[in-house]
Amino acid sequence: MSVATLLPASFEAGREGPDRRGLDETRPSTGRQVLRYAGIPVLLLLVLGATFVYVTTADLDDIERRLLDPSRLASATLRHLQLVGVSTAIVVLLAVPLGILATRNSMRHAVPLIVGLGNIAQGVPSLGVVVLFAVVLGQIGYTPAIFALVLYAFLPILRNTIVGLQQVDSFVTESARGMGMSRLAVLRRIELPLAVPVVLAGIRTAAVINVGTATIAALINAGGLGEIIYQGLTLNRQTATIVAAVLAAVLALLLDYLGGLLEQVLRPKGL
Amino acid sequence: MIGLEGLTKRYPGQSEPAVDALDLAVPEGEIVVLVGPSGCGKTTTMKMINRIIEPTSGIIRLQGEDVTRTPPDDLRRRIGYVIQQVGLFPHMTIAENVAVVPKLLKWKNDRTRSRVDEMLELVGMDPGTYRDRHPKELSGGQRQRIGVARALAADPPVMLMDEPFGAVDPIAREKLQNEFLRLQEDIKKTIVFVTHDIDEAIKMGDRIVVLGDRSVIKQYDTPERILSDPAYDFVAEFIGAGASLKRLGLARVRDFALADWPVSSIADGREAALKALAAAGAESVLLLDEQRRPVRWAARSDLSRSGASLERLGTPVTVVQPQATLAGALDSMVSSRVGAVVVVDGRGAYTGTVDMGVIMQAAETMRDAARQNATAQLDPEQGAELERELDGGEAEGPGGSTGGAPDTTVPRR
Repeated sequence: MSVATLLPASFEAGREGPDRRGLDETRPSTGRQVLRYAGIPVLLLLVLGATFVYVTTADLDDIERRLLDPSRLASATLRHLQLVGVSTAIVVLLAVPLGILATRNSMRHAVPLIVGLGNIAQGVPSLGVVVLFAVVLGQIGYTPAIFALVLYAFLPILRNTIVGLQQVDSFVTESARGMGMSRLAVLRRIELPLAVPVVLAGIRTAAVINVGTATIAALINAGGLGEIIYQGLTLNRQTATIVAAVLAAVLALLLDYLGGLLEQVLRPKGL
Repeated sequence: MIGLEGLTKRYPGQSEPAVDALDLAVPEGEIVVLVGPSGCGKTTTMKMINRIIEPTSGIIRLQGEDVTRTPPDDLRRRIGYVIQQVGLFPHMTIAENVAVVPKLLKWKNDRTRSRVDEMLELVGMDPGTYRDRHPKELSGGQRQRIGVARALAADPPVMLMDEPFGAVDPIAREKLQNEFLRLQEDIKKTIVFVTHDIDEAIKMGDRIVVLGDRSVIKQYDTPERILSDPAYDFVAEFIGAGASLKRLGLARVRDFALADWPVSSIADGREAALKALAAAGAESVLLLDEQRRPVRWAARSDLSRSGASLERLGTPVTVVQPQATLAGALDSMVSSRVGAVVVVDGRGAYTGTVDMGVIMQAAETMRDAARQNATAQLDPEQGAELERELDGGEAEGPGGSTGGAPDTTVPRR
């Protein structure tokens, strides 16, 4: 069973084009808003509850019980979160500045090249990227996994930063320049705030992608929920595989949900 | 005030310069309109003044100072800038938008705050209502006003306006133009105004620069003279048909002798009205109230029909203010049943009427003046005199619109 099929739609959206959810969203009515804010957490709790009931009532053998030990599940989940969090943070630190640079006038011609490289990085199958870094770095474990995740999540954030800055109305920046704002002030006070929703959408997409890719990182011994999934597969213990996969999916949906909340909070008023 | 000397913009890879050695002097406190066909370089010319577009060569002077090499950000803070698309910052409130330049100039917070309120009031937007709104919540016309308020916030001596009323509907545009002209009477900024619409140029400009290709000046003159005496076929063509009608749009009702009309006070009753009618031998009489404000037009037949009170009979009265243009008066006149429009003073009291005779007389006066004006080119002093006459006898300083052609005017046909 593929882990990716359990991930939310935005996992795929990252490949299709810039994630413009942050741009076009119309404000829903209050009733729908409540449903939107409460719906996902309730759903996730239900899924977790069902999994818990299934695990406790199912007839588990020794191996399964060892694989599904609560403290083991907890530490695998934490490790998974760590892989996602650290790699996404590194990507934000690298891709957002690069995106800003790419949209400066003098760098205009470099944009296709930069985006092209990012496309290639994401076009390579994630398994290949993970293994590639293990080989290139000559080691397995946490470090090459982080490298692979960084490379893999780079494009959505870079692309959304570029798109987010480019979609700022040129008349707005022109009037800002015309009033005597320096280039830096225009970037800081006008362009970046207006790009925030789109950049955040990219970060959200990248984090969700990384939840999926991080399961694969278990192949090079980076730990996380992927480890339990693969052990379940090799030992032919489907219960373990399903439980770990459900946890990964819940994690992805939860990050997507929190990202959405963050977008709502940080989106400048008046847009 | 603003001086451009040999200003040239050459884009790489283009054989012809976009703006070719332009010389232009914009006098203090006047609106100079750059008008010309699209692609003639008028916007490029304007954007070189605040160096949004850097000139290839030439000198820009602001208040006598050569600002061609001044750091552009410092220069721009001294120049108000309004563009057609307004370019308000959508994530800032109206107050924050207006406060941008004062903040760049590091004004104290309370000074900025009171200035913002002052500016909002100046453009007719209630600060209490609009201060904390976002641009999205305003109509196009309101955004345009905020654009003007924002440009004026730091009280720059100079303003650049690029088709500032181009993006709103015709009714709102008319209103914004009138409001801005009234505002300019108080603030007396030196303004460079770009438009492709000759009617807007005639209405807004103290002087008009008609530009041809490569921003070459075809004529630099007052609106009156551009209309009555276009320097080239190019200018005449650009003005288009109906120059005489447009000239009516320049002339104010107050500058011409008004026609008298038989009037009668309502308080004096029906008999007095009938008597006034008979004395004048006219078809209808204008009924006034106690403050001499016009109330109704009453025809003989209306008055002879008994019953209805004087306040109700006849037809309603259309009035215009003395500042109205003859074109406006003509418009009201042809839609009035009586064939005349009533002119009232500031308090609404009757001062006279404009009828067809007044319009014809005015048109003739203007035509004569224009003709003499053209011949008077040989004798500048005589020309100056005639101009003064054209301006309605208002005293003008030596630097005013008298003397006509500034140095940059091209030779006439």
